[in-house]
Amino acid sequence: MKFFISLLRIIKSGVMNLRRNIWLAAASTLIMTITLIILSVMTLLFIITSYSVQSIQERVDISTYFKSDVSEARILVIRDELQGDSRIASVNYVSSAEARQNFEENNRDDQLIIDSLNELTDNPFPSTLQIKANNLEDYPAIANMLEESSYRDLIQEINFEDNRIIIERLNSLLTFIITFGLILMVVFCLIAILVIFNTIALTIYNRREEVEIMRLVGATNWYIRGPFLVEALTYSVIAAIITSALILPIYFQMLPKISNYLTPGANIFSGDIKIFLGVIVVQLIIAFILSAISSLLAMRKYLRI
Amino acid sequence: MIEFKKVTKYYNNHKALNNINLHVKQGEFISLVGMSGAGKSTMLKLLVGEEQLDDGSILIDDIDMTKIRKSDLPYLRRKIGVVFQDIKLLPKRTAFENVAFAMEVSGHTKEQINKDVPRILELVGLTHKTHNFPHEMSGGEKQRVAIARSLAHRPVLLLADEPTGNLDEINAAEVIDLLLKINELGTTVLLATHASDLVNKIKKRVITIEGGQITMEQEKGKYKL
Ligand SMILES: Nc1ncnc2c1ncn2[C@@H]1O[C@H](COP(=O)(O)OP(=O)(O)O)[C@@H](O)[C@H]1O
Ligand SMILES: [Mg+2]
Repeated sequence: MKFFISLLRIIKSGVMNLRRNIWLAAASTLIMTITLIILSVMTLLFIITSYSVQSIQERVDISTYFKSDVSEARILVIRDELQGDSRIASVNYVSSAEARQNFEENNRDDQLIIDSLNELTDNPFPSTLQIKANNLEDYPAIANMLEESSYRDLIQEINFEDNRIIIERLNSLLTFIITFGLILMVVFCLIAILVIFNTIALTIYNRREEVEIMRLVGATNWYIRGPFLVEALTYSVIAAIITSALILPIYFQMLPKISNYLTPGANIFSGDIKIFLGVIVVQLIIAFILSAISSLLAMRKYLRI
Repeated sequence: MIEFKKVTKYYNNHKALNNINLHVKQGEFISLVGMSGAGKSTMLKLLVGEEQLDDGSILIDDIDMTKIRKSDLPYLRRKIGVVFQDIKLLPKRTAFENVAFAMEVSGHTKEQINKDVPRILELVGLTHKTHNFPHEMSGGEKQRVAIARSLAHRPVLLLADEPTGNLDEINAAEVIDLLLKINELGTTVLLATHASDLVNKIKKRVITIEGGQITMEQEKGKYKL
């Protein structure tokens, strides 16, 4: 009971502190918000880039298109042979009939395409073996091996879209985001600590009489310190709320667009609410830590208990 | 109730108290007199743990001030009321709120506060100023509010450091009368002052301190300097 009465009084007093110098409170909240926005944007960029890398990696394969006169049995023999290769993870056979069917499915809504397809007498889609490697690095060697194989004559075309370059680019973008983001974060965290430190120091100065009397009449340590901590934590809560409201549309509307731009045709990023909540929780924790550090430092320096 | 044993206190290299021995009994009223700089405030500060002694020991009931933990000091301070020359009221709070402030600190409920504060203000004779701010009161009235605040935790010991220092004769006499009344109600009072004429009227035990040493002890004696 006593504990809750005291806790309530501490919180009330902390919020009063904040209202007493509203401009400094605004400045503290602003700098904290900027820090959190930077943190969140960096995190979101990281999420979308690594998502893109992953979805591209999943998409990489070697498509081997066979000439139309090659029999299915022959292709299946080649498939079995390829499956014996330790570098190869899977070989998927798509017959020309299936390929046509897939194409029709995908272009169901486009009557023009369907019509022109129907006008052809032959099936224009070749039978295909889709090869996936265990490791990204093995693709060139596998493509090479196909080029020099004994059955090269049966193959109409080996389609190996070398996505490694784009994956490397995305990976270096990731590294850049991480290093640049970390540096930026450290700088802004320091600024935030400094600004909040000064705000709390001023509050302590403004309330020095009260603090002196509190000590005199037997206030406990945490009863005296509590309001300053509450004040600083309030800045982080407000900043976290503002930041969350700002990144909400970025996460759910911009990220899918960015994902589509980075890796057109791949799975489009669809915002997962759990990840979003995770981002919010993480920034709240970081904001709390920053606030706690700066107010505790200010108290250590200026509050004589 | 209070026992100073061979207490010595230095400020840097300056010896403020030198081998002080003093025994204060429960319910006593003691006047601690001496010129400015004699060491009166230092003695009181040692009692509330505001300063630490360098040699000897101080016992308050069975609490050894040389061994008390920092986290226990607030609870000790609730047993000891303190009043100063510079009064230290919160200017933006009424008499009621200033007294209530002390009770809030120790987690008293609103109901308890609303019940106790008027009683305490009545005790110090300020019921009619309950909702006035410090700037609407005389020096003596302000000091009586400060005394009321120091009584909020029903202390067993009241320390008054030059409580009349800023007051004219009439107001000063009022404050001393109030301290005597509080003492009669059972609280031990330690009054530090350099005002000799005041002490002469009190007719209680007087301890004279000069240059950090006790130079004279008189039961109901006169203070002469
Ligand atoms: N915080 C301090 N630092 C250094 N010297 C002090 C301090 N407080 C008091 N003194 C010195 O200690 C001596 C006793 O001071 P004090 O106890 O305040 O005397 P009184 O209250 O009798 O006037 C004085 O010489 C004073 O200058
Ligand atoms: Mg003094």
